[in-house]
Amino acid sequence: MFLTRSEYDRGVNTFSPEGRLFQVEYAIEAIKLGSTTVGVCTPEGVVLAVEKRVQSPLLEASSIEKIMEIDSHLGCAMSGLIADARTMIDHARVTSQNHAFTYDEKIKVESVTQAVCDLALRFGESVHDEDAMMSRPFGVALLIAGVDEKGPQLFHTDPSGTFVRYDAKAVGSGSEAAQSELQDKWHKQMTLKEAHILTLRVLKQVMEEKLDQHNVQLAQVTSDKGFEILDEVRLKALIDDM
Amino acid sequence: MNSLVSRFSTTGPIAELRKAKEVLGDDDEFSDAVWGSEAGFGSLANGVPKFSIPQVPDPSAFLRLHTDDHSDPSCRIKIKHGTTTLAFRFQGGVIVAVDSRASAGSYVASGTVKKVIEINPYLLGTMAGGAADCQYWETYLGIQCRLHELRNRERISVAAASKYLSNLVYSYKGMGLSMGTMICGWDKTGPAVFYVDSDGTRLKGDLFSVGSGSTFAYGVLDQGYRWDLTDEEAQELGRRSIYAAGHRDAYSGNTINLYHVKEDGWKFIGNYDVSKMHYEGPNGVGYGYDIRTEGRSSANPPATQ
Amino acid sequence: MPDGSFSHPQQRSFNPYTENGGTILAIAGADFTVIAGDTRQSEGYSIQTRYAPKVFRLTDRAVLAVNGFAADGNMFVKKVKQRLEWYRHAHAKDMPLRAIARLIQTMLYAQRFFPYYVYNILGGIEEDGTGAVYSFDPVGSYEREACRAAGAAQSLVQPFLDNQIYFKNQQAAPGQSHPLHLPLSDVLSIVIDSFTSATERHIEVGDGLEMYVVLAKGRSAQGLEGGRGVQELTTRTDGDRVFVIRRELKKD
Repeated sequence: MFLTRSEYDRGVNTFSPEGRLFQVEYAIEAIKLGSTTVGVCTPEGVVLAVEKRVQSPLLEASSIEKIMEIDSHLGCAMSGLIADARTMIDHARVTSQNHAFTYDEKIKVESVTQAVCDLALRFGESVHDEDAMMSRPFGVALLIAGVDEKGPQLFHTDPSGTFVRYDAKAVGSGSEAAQSELQDKWHKQMTLKEAHILTLRVLKQVMEEKLDQHNVQLAQVTSDKGFEILDEVRLKALIDDM
Repeated sequence: MNSLVSRFSTTGPIAELRKAKEVLGDDDEFSDAVWGSEAGFGSLANGVPKFSIPQVPDPSAFLRLHTDDHSDPSCRIKIKHGTTTLAFRFQGGVIVAVDSRASAGSYVASGTVKKVIEINPYLLGTMAGGAADCQYWETYLGIQCRLHELRNRERISVAAASKYLSNLVYSYKGMGLSMGTMICGWDKTGPAVFYVDSDGTRLKGDLFSVGSGSTFAYGVLDQGYRWDLTDEEAQELGRRSIYAAGHRDAYSGNTINLYHVKEDGWKFIGNYDVSKMHYEGPNGVGYGYDIRTEGRSSANPPATQ
Repeated sequence: MPDGSFSHPQQRSFNPYTENGGTILAIAGADFTVIAGDTRQSEGYSIQTRYAPKVFRLTDRAVLAVNGFAADGNMFVKKVKQRLEWYRHAHAKDMPLRAIARLIQTMLYAQRFFPYYVYNILGGIEEDGTGAVYSFDPVGSYEREACRAAGAAQSLVQPFLDNQIYFKNQQAAPGQSHPLHLPLSDVLSIVIDSFTSATERHIEVGDGLEMYVVLAKGRSAQGLEGGRGVQELTTRTDGDRVFVIRRELKKD
């Protein structure tokens, strides 16, 4: 893919003569190997959905965790190196709690996203007596969903530390097909239920296995109930409605 | 070039100064947290600002000289003191009752203090000693409990939460913190009460009372306590005990705040004026003995025909 | 007395504090808050200045009054303002009042082992449009209240406020009840009376009076705009508004 590959892709702190940081670009490539993750924002709340790749019948599907709670008003879905995401999620959780401690209010979705992205840039050699940092970029993309005083919002972050707000976004292996499907089907006045169905349909299209309540995970963030992961009973009901 | 080298070196005078500043917690150096972002590893940041310490040989003696109004009533900085708090475990959960007076010397600084700190929907902490110490560290305990819950997908036990607090205040031992608190809640083991203080004591128990009025509260509490109290009886016992302390201890009084912790979390039962309890009680019958003995005591003899 | 000789044991201690007198108070209404302070600054029996403000506008909806050791107070206000500015850059909004209250707690508590000798009263308008007062002790314990006095004449003023604002020891007329909130004009009269009386009976109170009035968004400023000694300090239109009213107090 990268035919111009040269010694510039070895270090994380050296730009190539064309002005690129290859390791960061490769990290973004790593996400495209991850399972498909979809987020949809509606006026009622935000829906997150991920595909769980159950590689073996002996694997306990419920132990795969790709949607996590950051705080009662914030959720996060991930694609790529899930282990890297854990560091980022813990950072987001601590940031959110520190904000609540210092200001007695819920942190804004954008602020917590900003904090995660600041962390994403902390790779490279650590200087002087600073605390240990990552030696490479994170290989994970996050969809951060939340509700604050500005209403429901969905943010996408990538290993370069860039974050952008989306109405609907897909990441991971099936993201290209999924994103164009979202572009066709998403509209401004979507209900939460429509968003549930849309995310499931999008996942169904890009998944190799047949979609059922064991190999997808669905979560939502609403203003009245906050973050919740839908249990298998509710998930099955939605799949039946599809 | 020289300055650059010295800035990043880990030895030498500038590095020593940098380390000294870290120890002293120069508050001019803010973490990135105040900008809304940690920009570092979350697990290393804890949200507690660095404490600045006066550069004197004995910082705690300095603090004592200027703030402790027991040893020196003329000291300038008066920290609010004086209290009665109680909590007990029984068949129906935990009852937590406190007064609401804060005194600075002999002045009633406030009559509306919230001495029950709502750590989260299923944990309560009580306030005795330094008001700020209790408020600050129990709020801090609240966020740590929430992080425990997010990381472990399970609520923290009352034992663990109280131990967290106890270890925390123990790390500041001898520096002048003053708190005596009961951490109350309901976990997998059922209703639980732990007493934690700034000396580092941590005790599990059924019944505690803390503060200047605790002896008076214990008097009522001990004689009325049973495990199989009904909810109403237990609430009345808590209320009556704080009333007794408010009546006999000059440093306690104003109003009573009553909470009841059950399996699904705590519930605020009510706020009761101590004077009103004296004359009218919670339902028309005053707690005051002069109400019961009116017209029958030597000071107030029955009217002679 | 230390005489520089070594013939007697001598003890010295680090004493970085002094007391600069004065009094502050704040009263919350339904949709406004009044925060006031006198402007005398003294040390012992001598008056250092007749105009040293103790009340400061923080945002269009928050005003902070500080009392105690003036140097600590001024530094503390400066640092609060700095943190408010940083918060605005980080989160693209003004800090809400209850957030300022919690921030002040953490800032005071950071000095737990070397306290600011400052009593703070924060007043303003909450997010829901109601008036609010928060009072603090020097190391950061705080509480939301309807009214609070602090400083040299606290023990003179607070009982008066208890009686006039909370209607303590007052019996309502038969068939009537005490109002939950007083109108602005009544509150201003109570504030002025508090300070004129405190000036009469306390040597550290006097010279000038500054009353900050914070009005909730949409509330009419009638009776305030164009009044004697009234100045508007609001920076943005279409939000809460801040006014300051200045009055003279006796100067003896």
